[in-house]
Amino acid sequence: MREVINSLELYRNKLLTLYRNKFGEQIDFEFLMDNQIIVTVPKELLVSACLYTQQTLKAPLVDMIGTDEREIDECYGLYYVFASNDLDLFITISTRVERDNPAFPSVTPAIHAAHWYEREVKDMLGVHPIGHPDPKRLVRHFWSKEVHPLRKDIPKGMKLPRTDKELPFKQVKGEGIFQVPVGPIHAGIIEPGHFRFSVQGEYIINLEAKLFYTHRGIEKLAEEMNFHQALPLVERICGVCSFSHSTSYCQAVEKLAGTEIPDRARYIRTIILELERLYNHLGDVGNICAGTGFTFGISQGSRLKETMMQLNERIAGNRYLRGINVPGGVQLDLDNEISMQIRETLTAVAGDFRELKEILVNNDSFNERLIGTGVLPPEIALKMNVVGPGGRASGSRRDVRKNHPYAAYSNTEFQVPSYTAGDVKSRLLVRIDEIEESFGIISQALAAIPGGKLNSALGPIKPQSYALGYTESPRGENIHWVMAGQGNTIFRYRVRSASYTNWPAVQAAVPGNMVPDFPFINKSFELFYSCLGR
Amino acid sequence: MGFVYIVLHLILLLLLAPLVEGTIRKTKAFWQNREGPGLLQPYYNLIKYLKKDSVISDNASWLYWSAPYLTFASIAAAALLIPSVSPDMTISFAGDIILLCYLFAFARFYMALAGLDTGSAFGGMGSSREMFISAMVEPVMFLALFSIALKVNSTDLSVIAGATASIGLGLMNPSHILAMIAMFIVSLAETGRIPIDNPDTHLELTMVHEGMLLEYSGKPLALMQYSAMLKQMLILTLLGNVFLPWGGLPSIDYIGLLSGSLIYIVKIFILALITATVEIANNKLRIFRVPGLLMTAFFLAGLAVVVQLLLKG
Repeated sequence: MREVINSLELYRNKLLTLYRNKFGEQIDFEFLMDNQIIVTVPKELLVSACLYTQQTLKAPLVDMIGTDEREIDECYGLYYVFASNDLDLFITISTRVERDNPAFPSVTPAIHAAHWYEREVKDMLGVHPIGHPDPKRLVRHFWSKEVHPLRKDIPKGMKLPRTDKELPFKQVKGEGIFQVPVGPIHAGIIEPGHFRFSVQGEYIINLEAKLFYTHRGIEKLAEEMNFHQALPLVERICGVCSFSHSTSYCQAVEKLAGTEIPDRARYIRTIILELERLYNHLGDVGNICAGTGFTFGISQGSRLKETMMQLNERIAGNRYLRGINVPGGVQLDLDNEISMQIRETLTAVAGDFRELKEILVNNDSFNERLIGTGVLPPEIALKMNVVGPGGRASGSRRDVRKNHPYAAYSNTEFQVPSYTAGDVKSRLLVRIDEIEESFGIISQALAAIPGGKLNSALGPIKPQSYALGYTESPRGENIHWVMAGQGNTIFRYRVRSASYTNWPAVQAAVPGNMVPDFPFINKSFELFYSCLGR
Repeated sequence: MGFVYIVLHLILLLLLAPLVEGTIRKTKAFWQNREGPGLLQPYYNLIKYLKKDSVISDNASWLYWSAPYLTFASIAAAALLIPSVSPDMTISFAGDIILLCYLFAFARFYMALAGLDTGSAFGGMGSSREMFISAMVEPVMFLALFSIALKVNSTDLSVIAGATASIGLGLMNPSHILAMIAMFIVSLAETGRIPIDNPDTHLELTMVHEGMLLEYSGKPLALMQYSAMLKQMLILTLLGNVFLPWGGLPSIDYIGLLSGSLIYIVKIFILALITATVEIANNKLRIFRVPGLLMTAFFLAGLAVVVQLLLKG
């Protein structure tokens, strides 16, 4: 461990020299919480600093946060977060945007992954990215253009004025090209999202998704709450990634407070995180079968998922693993009896799953539908910074559990599966392999779990300090960014879920495929609408 | 007397059709390790739809509301042509296999029009796919039936069924087996089953038959679904009575009719079990692979005709 920190130390100094040489004395440096570096640059240098970080330091853009800090220094703050692929290091390029001129040079033309982030900042804060290639509304497409809810002068709970004008879709025109509108209300019991296909016969030429229909204002609601109060809110950002979200949030708060959580809590978090991955992946493997009409796969997938969820209920008292995390550790212990139950259930589920796997992987008519369908080319996945199984099926090897270890992942052995074909089959295989790894991680963690306390008290938190929390949820990395306010409250809270980064990837993977293939291409990414409607 | 038998025949088909659907669903549930809804569920569904109000799109024309009646009427007319228990229980004086195929085509054509009528994207997609598939299904059905017709020198279904029933296993020559396989593939397509269509999906973008019905609710929906069940029953009856020469010709008395009904029902339910099992073991084909499957059926049926001609000398 010592060595890693030393080399990080060296690396920081090296970085400092690199940035100084490149940009001179106009930039400020700050080191935060052992693995975060904040580089503050003037607005004019924003694009070149971001590009430099991404290209020279091989760090993809993973999040971008806008804040309204006018009450402090009459400025809006912008924070572009890059995560190193080689080191456990996050580099934040931050800049200030003056109150009177709420505009900044857009990074999107240089770094595609910034596309949605900058549009969201424009919608929610009214800070305009100048030179953004597609600056139309993203989040608030049904609200009036004039109101920016994340500004501090908009009170919480205000009913935002709606607009009557529908945001137009991009349409492909030509002979024999039809528009197929799907949604926002769907036939299954799922959330709202409008998909607009331009099709020629059965082939899709273009797909545009209009999402963000269920904006709940969670980020706004969390402001001014104290850190413990906000937790139930965080657990409800998403149903099935509830524990990943709460872990991300708690980690961010713990970093702010400089609190080390007890070892027992680290192991319990690891076990629960993997249980969450298991029930999700098992259900998702089955769901992919729904699109091809392979009913056997659907019912076996849902049966295994249900078994896991019943286990969840015995552990946590609820099926979605809520109420376990607290900032500072966990509040629920895994006693011997429940550990035995976990072991027994997993043995049974693993046996059944392997049988199912054999059937799915060897069924010709199933493979015929999956192979070569919904291809997301690796170079596009890289540009969009596609995360989770979606990214790892397209050549990425990024997994937060390995790249930026948290909880007890540095103490467990596991592999990160990666495929390069980028089709539905690869995404299915990534999930199947990850299920096997999760069985391994849980049994290692159960065997090695130390005794001791469950949680530690939080230390004092300095106002306007900020930190990142991150987990590898079943769908990819969930990154939470928390900025503290006065008196142990939240000043700004930003949630970037895996679904947020991966939705644009669906729009990239679908064109060229047939209309009836869309449902399982979509399912193979398995994204959520609610993670967008924060 | 003949008229009474024809009415009895129609009542039998109408009564059993939902049960056959229920059997297929139950069998599928069994293969999925599920309990599944009861055998009678399709009846309950129909009763439920009949009690509900119907929501009709503002864009719908007379095509929309007339389609359920016309579809049902043409399928019911087709039912009168296909012998079930005894070959004598049909109105064979009115038409033969050619009329039968055209009655099916008429129902399909009307349903496709109704799918397009409301202007919904899913209805249009369903209709266009249905037409695409049926363009290949109809010739196969004709050819398969013709190979049998050649054998018995008649296109009259009651003559054909009478001959198959009385000749029995002696009919099982290579031509017959080829035609039977072709007809089975046709039956999967005609009844909207996997691998060609998926009757149980809620995914609008993948639908064929269900896509056309998506705008229907309440009583018209009940009629549309009932038509589909009845058509499925007819296709299975055709398969059972024309292509499975087994059971003998029942005599026209109470015992004969009773045993004939029993044999008929057993045949239909065995075919339903086979259909459900084929469905569970397969995935839906990509729609552009469907022609491949149907072409196979077409060649089998064509071969059946050729072999039949050769055998006849």
